[in-house]
Amino acid sequence: MISYIIRRLFILPVILFGVSLLIFSMIMMLGPYQRLSTYITDPAQLKGVDDVEQLIAKYGLDDPWYEQYGRWISGVAQGDFGWSESAGAPVTTAIANRFPATIELALLSLIPVIFGGIILGVISAVHHNKLIDHIIRIFAVIGWSFPSFVFGLLVLMIFYGVLGWLPPGRLSNWATEIVRSAEFANYTGMYILDGLLNFNFAVVLDAIRHMIAPVITISILWWAFILRITRSNMLETLKKDYIRTARAKGLADNIVVYKHAVRNALIPVVTVAGQMILGLAGGLVIVESIFNIRGLGQFMATSAQQLDYPGVLGGALYFGLLLILINLFVDVSYAVIDPRIRLE
Amino acid sequence: MQKKLVVLLTLVLVFSVFSVVGAQEVKNPDTFIEVNMGTIDSLDPHYQYDSASAEIIDNVYENLIKFNKGNINEFVPHLATEVPTVENGLIRENGTVYEFPIREGVTFQNGNPLTPEDVKYSFLRALIQDRDGGPVWMLYEPLFQKGSLADVVTEVLGEEKSPSELTAEESKKVYAYLEKAIEVDGNSVVFNLPQAFPPFLSIISQNNGVGAIIDKEWTIKQGGWDGQPGSIAEYTNPTKEEDPLFDTMNGTGPYELVEWVNGEEVILNRNDDYWREPASIKKVIIRMIDEWSTRKLMLQRGDADIVYVDKQYLPQVRNMDGVEVITGLPNLYMGAGLMNFNIVTEGNPDVHSGKLDGNGIPSNFFSDIHVRKGFLYSMNYEAFVKDVLQGDGQKGRGPIPEPFLGYDENSPTYNLDLEKAEEHFRQAFDGELWEKGFEITILYNTGNDVRKSAVDMLKYYVEQINPKFKVNVRGIQWATYLDKLIANKFTLGFIAWGADYADPHNFVVPFLASDGTYGGFKGKNYIEFAKENIDPLIEKGVSLTDPEAREKVYKELQNIAYEHAIDMYLYQPTAQVVMRDWVEGWYYNPIRDPGQYFYSLDK
Repeated sequence: MISYIIRRLFILPVILFGVSLLIFSMIMMLGPYQRLSTYITDPAQLKGVDDVEQLIAKYGLDDPWYEQYGRWISGVAQGDFGWSESAGAPVTTAIANRFPATIELALLSLIPVIFGGIILGVISAVHHNKLIDHIIRIFAVIGWSFPSFVFGLLVLMIFYGVLGWLPPGRLSNWATEIVRSAEFANYTGMYILDGLLNFNFAVVLDAIRHMIAPVITISILWWAFILRITRSNMLETLKKDYIRTARAKGLADNIVVYKHAVRNALIPVVTVAGQMILGLAGGLVIVESIFNIRGLGQFMATSAQQLDYPGVLGGALYFGLLLILINLFVDVSYAVIDPRIRLE
Repeated sequence: MQKKLVVLLTLVLVFSVFSVVGAQEVKNPDTFIEVNMGTIDSLDPHYQYDSASAEIIDNVYENLIKFNKGNINEFVPHLATEVPTVENGLIRENGTVYEFPIREGVTFQNGNPLTPEDVKYSFLRALIQDRDGGPVWMLYEPLFQKGSLADVVTEVLGEEKSPSELTAEESKKVYAYLEKAIEVDGNSVVFNLPQAFPPFLSIISQNNGVGAIIDKEWTIKQGGWDGQPGSIAEYTNPTKEEDPLFDTMNGTGPYELVEWVNGEEVILNRNDDYWREPASIKKVIIRMIDEWSTRKLMLQRGDADIVYVDKQYLPQVRNMDGVEVITGLPNLYMGAGLMNFNIVTEGNPDVHSGKLDGNGIPSNFFSDIHVRKGFLYSMNYEAFVKDVLQGDGQKGRGPIPEPFLGYDENSPTYNLDLEKAEEHFRQAFDGELWEKGFEITILYNTGNDVRKSAVDMLKYYVEQINPKFKVNVRGIQWATYLDKLIANKFTLGFIAWGADYADPHNFVVPFLASDGTYGGFKGKNYIEFAKENIDPLIEKGVSLTDPEAREKVYKELQNIAYEHAIDMYLYQPTAQVVMRDWVEGWYYNPIRDPGQYFYSLDK
């Protein structure tokens, strides 16, 4: 298995190289004037420009594509991923600054989404066609079909606008001041974890308070997916012969369900969960915008809108890396869950 | 037992999380929170050229003079102790010499004292930096009658050369030329202009970063221009990442920069050693939140004191408790439709056949004045202001907006008049156009609903005039829109201009001059016309010192724009501000809009 993992990791740079080349060539299909819109985002900015060609030359937009790509890739080789115009910072800084917020939100959301989804799915399957099954399913369908911008706004309006309990942002003003002060050590950029490490529980509580609303939004919208997959797999598994055998030999119902059935029903769930982790860790544009969490989703969306190619490439490389690592993780998990699967 | 403990702990957690709920009294009385949208481009006063950056610059850096509480016709001293006038002898030699006595006892936020040398250094640094697409052209025009550093290099060396390729020797020659314009004389700084240029004071006044004064010693320490004549090549036209003042500030202003997290927030602290009374608000937080609903809720909860509100959302805040909405503030802005006199037809789907055959338009479609007038009479200006702008604005009367010299509320304008439109379309191309008809595509950039509405209106009316007239409307990305403008491929395109400084010169040049930003987009036929009929007048208007004589010139320009149906001057919008009613001391400054000056505010 270890050699399998190593082999997969070796392919990683090749894939990332391919991804960057592909994206770069797509951006290069646009003309230099169009790519100038990265720097000129409003007609008013043309005021001081008496010669547009000068600007194009300054940013090297009319150089042959291989020269532009060469400049970028040689920068990358030295750890410089370029300057992201849309973020107003080097790409690495832009991603590094947004990464903790995204990961914090992703980790917090994964718990209810995956575990909540699995538990609800199992309950639903065990009580197949009973009242509780119907309620859970209706609930799931509603959640799944709700657009996130509607549901997120609803959560914000109720819990912030009306009740004032769950404000947007990541921290209150006073907590921001503490976090930015010299006494507070920023280990990870994730405020909950950093608060714990600094033994500053006021900050921890404040950070949790700010995370509740986005996590609720994500959970309600996302767990339907896991729930339904778990449910259908459970139903199938519960009809299997070995389950009947287990019951026939007099095993307690709990053990039959949770020890024999769940484990076997989980394989497809792991695949889906992997995709969900990928989706969450890649950032969620809408949830981030509504709850004012400056994460990677917003960064990638604005850099794409603005044709900010270092930003787009940086985002794509991050996403590609994530994709490969998570797929690898999923493959390894298969082997752990189902010993019949061998990784070679 | 254990279960009870868990329940208890959960309750404590939940309670403590929710217990920090404030009432609707004045929230954070010492802190002022503005919630805005968009991004800040740069904190370098000589580099930035957008309103979000200008707001920060305006609160941290200061200029020699400023407007008297938003009155754009009256200056008061700021870092200078007197405003130069002819009467006090500080404007001399027919308006070509300006002297500014520099205030003593002012310190920068790092403790360095302000000297006349800093003032000289600041202007020279701006001139040398002159980044492409930046704001420094505003200084080159009055000080050298040129457009950029590159133009100065051409004049001094007698050949075209990129300023970033100057040798040390050449750089020294160019520097000597620049330096002559700005002299230190005792405790004063004297500007020598090649000819009178009345807008000069407006240009270097507060609210315009090009005239901001920076600390020489500090800037050099940060890695900025070293003050040496021979080093122009090294410091000119930097990219953002090469500019050492991109994200750090040290001004003489009432606030100092604490932190800038790009795209998220800016935090400013009061400068307690300010040379005037320190500000009343201790701390300013400017948050960038693009999502309107979030901004709205923050305003409603009192977590924001001033919030940026798009016009379309104004009805949502008009009756909000504890919120004050001020509308109808005059905005120095002109939204206009440019008509391209020579459309590039090659590879351009928007002209369709590219010929006068009823299935397209020829390249010189808009060179025919009757076509232009036909279009101008086919626009419902009143309905546009009433319905699209919801009454917050007025029809444009020419390139010059209210209240500048040359604006006249009784000047002739175009109105919706389909009979007159028909009359002109019948005469266009000697009647050929009317017989054959045409098909044109008019573009707008997606997301800009105001422009979309304008284009839709044109389509609606023009197509009524003759069944053979066909107008297509297409939304494209901003990137493509920009491409179409620069490559002269647009047909009729809507665009807008906001004031850089308070003078009509700043409007007639971009719209009308042959080498103006938008004039240049209009094709060679227009450029030829403008060289003959417009450029001399613009030149005259900006060299006269008598306001009455100037007014006559600008009125004439406004009239030429009407007579020759040059552009479709669609609207001058009004601005609005939305804030909590506990905000005190707010006043409107049209040239600063939409930024705030926190020094005057309290709550």
